[in-house]
Amino acid sequence: MNIPQNWHIFCRVIDNFGDIGVCWRLSRQLAHQFRRSVTLWVDDLHSFQALCEAVDPTRAHQCIDAVQVRHWQDPLPHCEPADVVIEAFGCHLPEDYIRRMTRHRPLWINLEYLSAEAWVKDYHLNQSPVHGLRKTFFFPGFEAGTGGLLWEPQLQELAHADDAARNAWRQQLGLPESPGLTVSLFAYENAALPDLLQALAEHASPCTLAVPQGRMGAGVAHWLGHDLAAGDRYQRNGLTLVGLPFLQQPEYDQLLALCDLNFVRGEDSFVRTQMLGRPFVWHIYPQEESAHLAKLDAFLSLYTRDMPSPLAASLHTAHQQWNQPQHTQSLPWQTLLEQLPSWRRHALSWREKLQMHGDLASNIVHFCTNQV
Amino acid sequence: MKTAQEFRAGQVMNLDGQAWVVLKSEFNKSGRNAAVCKMKLKNLITGASQEPVFKADDKLEPIILERKEVTYSYFADPLYVFMDEEYNQIDVEKENLGETANFIVDGMQETCEAVFYEGKAISIELPTTIVRTVAYTEPAARGDTSGKVMKVAKLDNGYELQVAAFIEIGEAIEIDTRTGEFKGRAKG
Repeated sequence: MNIPQNWHIFCRVIDNFGDIGVCWRLSRQLAHQFRRSVTLWVDDLHSFQALCEAVDPTRAHQCIDAVQVRHWQDPLPHCEPADVVIEAFGCHLPEDYIRRMTRHRPLWINLEYLSAEAWVKDYHLNQSPVHGLRKTFFFPGFEAGTGGLLWEPQLQELAHADDAARNAWRQQLGLPESPGLTVSLFAYENAALPDLLQALAEHASPCTLAVPQGRMGAGVAHWLGHDLAAGDRYQRNGLTLVGLPFLQQPEYDQLLALCDLNFVRGEDSFVRTQMLGRPFVWHIYPQEESAHLAKLDAFLSLYTRDMPSPLAASLHTAHQQWNQPQHTQSLPWQTLLEQLPSWRRHALSWREKLQMHGDLASNIVHFCTNQV
Repeated sequence: MKTAQEFRAGQVMNLDGQAWVVLKSEFNKSGRNAAVCKMKLKNLITGASQEPVFKADDKLEPIILERKEVTYSYFADPLYVFMDEEYNQIDVEKENLGETANFIVDGMQETCEAVFYEGKAISIELPTTIVRTVAYTEPAARGDTSGKVMKVAKLDNGYELQVAAFIEIGEAIEIDTRTGEFKGRAKG
């Protein structure tokens, strides 16, 4: 059997870091775990550099962490199509490249966005007959019958790290030793933020809130009365706010693994905290016509299905409020924080369920191997 | 060229040099305001079927076919029989109608379009909005007039769809034939 060896992944950075974050993780996993020759074509190397400081935005072709990184420009520099071509998130491959694909006939995969909605299972692995080729739609997901989630075996080492390793990360990140809760905050702009900060400040036990630089900055500064720059530390009642720089993926994974509760957003951090078995509150990427709310409901229905009902009720309310802060119902933050022990147990059993479906990269490799 | 999401049941596209009629089309929002379509297609020559998925903005080549205005006459299993303005009888196989068959009922007044491929009627296209009467639904929920709370309703031909909770048995409702979804109470 000829196992597809050469892979091209195409990624357009739409906004933020979700698209490139997923593509970069997938590229590295294919290169390291599966020993594939991977070329990642990216149209915005500056955004990529924020996630991976080794990227030089001035270089059109560079090798980073065993992945060939190439600047996707128009026109695309001449290259032969790979054995497997991954079009990330329907980013539209260059026409000239598709013409060459019609001669080489590689496996063509459209890697789609993550959703917990029921229709995903029905769409997963369906094909488009386009340009005389077959393009397979690969949908990540939370259930059997989907492509699974993007996680690598090494992530579980982080999840099970001992106290010495965790203390070392804490020191590297500049987080104080804390007898109470440690919480990370990564979200889009959110009108519900002041209520959360107030609840953490008034919580019965002390709380350290790690805030990487990002779109929450202005909201935090408004509540504090001044900016929270990287390296800054402020105390308000029992709450210690710690400003962090925008973290590279490995450091951000460590932060998620350290925390008792993670506020996450979009797709990448949302998946990482789940695969680390940590409780989280998700700020979903807002879409036109509130299409994201159906996706949020679908996820919460799955996530809370086997959860104690008081905790499930708190989580539904918290997520509705965090994603629709115009609702008048008060946020159940104190209640939710008191439920952390049972939430933590659920997060671990949820991770075990997710692991049963395999990981996205392995599932893609398995699919491609079976196609040749 | 048309985008995938513009194709409706009954329309025909050229895929890899062959004519395929759309029997069913649905689309879902995937992420970042993108969408994907899933279609049920039937090959007009071989009769083979497939259920491809497209990005909603994928460009596909429509095949422009001869059309003729018709009105529905009767159903003689497996044929739906229509009549054109010159009283010619036009037969369309039930299987070829796909989702459209859900909205064809005895006595319907709407003028439809029969679509022909190589002289044979291969599908029927309905107006975008049609009016149908609710044959059965649970009693109307009191107090909710927002139209956001939905319940199941059944048409005369047994087709079920979600309607606003305030709709009652015997009421005429508007249906969007592109999606099969309830649009609202029929006006007038």
